[in-house]
Amino acid sequence: MERGWGGEARLLVFLVDARIAGKRRVAREMWVLAMDAPEIAASVRAGQFVNLGWTPGPLLRRPFSVYRVDDDRIEIVLKAVGAGTAQLLDMDRGDRVSCLGPLGRGFDLGAGPRSIVLVSGGLGVAPMPLAAREATALGMRVTWVHGARSREELCTESGGDEVIWATDDGSQGLAGTAVAAAPDADLVLACGPNPMLAAAADRWPDALVAVETYMGCGTGVCLGCAVPLKRGGYDRACKEGPVYRAADIDWTALPAHLPYAVTA
Amino acid sequence: MTGMAVTIGDLKLRGPVLAASGTFGYGTEVPLLERRALGAMVSKGIFLRPRRGTAPPRIVETPSGMLNAIGLQGPGADALIRDYAPLWADWDFPVLVNINGESASEYGELAARLDGVPGISGFEINISCPNVEQGGLYFGNDPRAAAAVTEAVRKRTTLPVWVKLTPMVSDIGVIARAVESAGADALCAINTLVGMSIDLNAGRPRLSFRTGGLSGPAIRPLAVYLAHQAARAVNIPVIGIGGIARAEDALEFLVAGCAAVQVGTATFVNPRAIADVHDGIAAYLKAKGLGSPADLPRHLPKD
Ligand SMILES: Cc1cc2nc3c(=O)[nH]c(=O)nc-3n(C[C@H](O)[C@H](O)[C@H](O)COP(=O)(O)OP(=O)(O)OC[C@H]3O[C@@H](n4cnc5c(N)ncnc54)[C@H](O)[C@@H]3O)c2cc1C
Ligand SMILES: Cc1cc2nc3c(=O)[nH]c(=O)nc-3n(C[C@H](O)[C@H](O)[C@H](O)COP(=O)(O)O)c2cc1C
Ligand code: FES
Repeated sequence: MERGWGGEARLLVFLVDARIAGKRRVAREMWVLAMDAPEIAASVRAGQFVNLGWTPGPLLRRPFSVYRVDDDRIEIVLKAVGAGTAQLLDMDRGDRVSCLGPLGRGFDLGAGPRSIVLVSGGLGVAPMPLAAREATALGMRVTWVHGARSREELCTESGGDEVIWATDDGSQGLAGTAVAAAPDADLVLACGPNPMLAAAADRWPDALVAVETYMGCGTGVCLGCAVPLKRGGYDRACKEGPVYRAADIDWTALPAHLPYAVTA
Repeated sequence: MTGMAVTIGDLKLRGPVLAASGTFGYGTEVPLLERRALGAMVSKGIFLRPRRGTAPPRIVETPSGMLNAIGLQGPGADALIRDYAPLWADWDFPVLVNINGESASEYGELAARLDGVPGISGFEINISCPNVEQGGLYFGNDPRAAAAVTEAVRKRTTLPVWVKLTPMVSDIGVIARAVESAGADALCAINTLVGMSIDLNAGRPRLSFRTGGLSGPAIRPLAVYLAHQAARAVNIPVIGIGGIARAEDALEFLVAGCAAVQVGTATFVNPRAIADVHDGIAAYLKAKGLGSPADLPRHLPKD
């Protein structure tokens, strides 16, 4: 923690001119990009994200969860869902991306739970490898349930003690959604399209879910990333979130069409 | 020796680059800020009472810009006084509060509530928000309404009063002169333009509020022109705003007749934007052998 100049205690945020260090395919049209960002790699927690900018590129930065960390490197997982992500995937090893982070609040795994279930759909795998690592380090038994539309779209990189696959068409693992395929546990984490998270909220009100919103600044100043809360009003996905207790969100008022994890 | 200080009315600022309202929160949030470069901060717009803001989606990216419909979400005057002003009181640059209201008297009341609160060094009146009393018009495009709001605030405070002009007018000079006569100490030009973007898949607007305020580089040429027109119309200082991301952008406004500038959307893209713009202006002045921003040429031909 650093004393911010406003007198407010805050987590450190870094702006890193990061070199693209690698790229690999993990499912149909789904890629993992690695970049050198030592300060972020050393401090990021599961569920936190980085805001990426590049030139020439779109005006605003784009938020991505940190997928994995390997020494000085961070990884993100993505698909080309629009112009920005398509440009990112066109980049080559050695190209530079401006990387701001770590941002947001990650999953707070606490000290109590003995078992944990990670439920992910499509690109919602993004925060899970770090979550599995942190939960394992805390001595929890980790079950990871991951779903996608079909076998081709299923990212099969995983971690934890037990892995369950689910596909809508039944082409791999259980037929149906990741939420339906998941067992119960002391703690549930979920990430995927907002409608999937709404379904998770019905089953596990206390689940911790990472939501997707449009973001302007990623740092808490623009109020663009409003998350509607059950108790009324909005707060900021980039600052108070993107991780929430599932039952705290007013799911009917949260846009459902964003492409984070288009499937599941 | 090049100095960067500028004077806006009675307010001495250590530099000509300010943080624009709504893009800098309450000043406690922005990471990696080099505060030495900040001339002043204008805080997020508030109303007298707390406001919830609009439903998401609230922002959309557009070519070289963005649309926002935040709906002036904010904590209201009491929370501002309690939670933020005490922090600002310790800072080494002034904080102005961007104030909003649904009627001229509400603006006046808000200014009176905040007047004399340690940490608050002045007001920026936002006259671009929908006006209930005036039947859906904007205060900002009716010279009489704009003057009435300015006067209502002027009467209730001795602090500097800046008036932030909307670009959605046919002649910005008319509004500028009206608020100058009503007692404004400075003008800020411009606020966002109203824009709209359609999601063709869904067949409806991308913003839940349908329309939003356009900001960013897309609006800069228009902003330079309107700030210039405003500066030609009045004798009080004009602070230029709109699409500034680099020192060259800011220098355009200064040469167009502005005394200072505000940087907004660019800070979302580059957390060091304010320092970069400030340092770039200093380097330009030095290279040209100029002593201060006031020595820049001012292109203000009179009609
Ligand atoms: C906290 C967080 C973590 C994320 N992590 C990942 C991740 O790990 N992997 C991944 O692939 N995606 C992730 N996303 C989503 C990703 O940021 C968007 O898919 C990306 O911004 C789209 O950019 P684009 O230029 O390709 O799309 P555009 O061409 O701009 O638009 C395509 C679609 O993307 C969506 N979109 C556009 N701008 C934004 C925005 N600022 N925020 C969210 N959606 C937007 C819109 O639905 C739009 O229709 C995350 C989003 C958030 C908020
Ligand atoms: C997200 C956002 C919120 C804003 N909120 C306010 C506000 O509360 N009050 C105000 O007067 N202007 C507000 N503005 C307008 C900016 O202060 C500025 O006038 C405008 O964005 C143009 O400058 P820029 O292109 O540098 O961003 C807001 C702008 C943005 C992008
Ligand atoms: S993205 Fe700007 S406040 Fe969250």
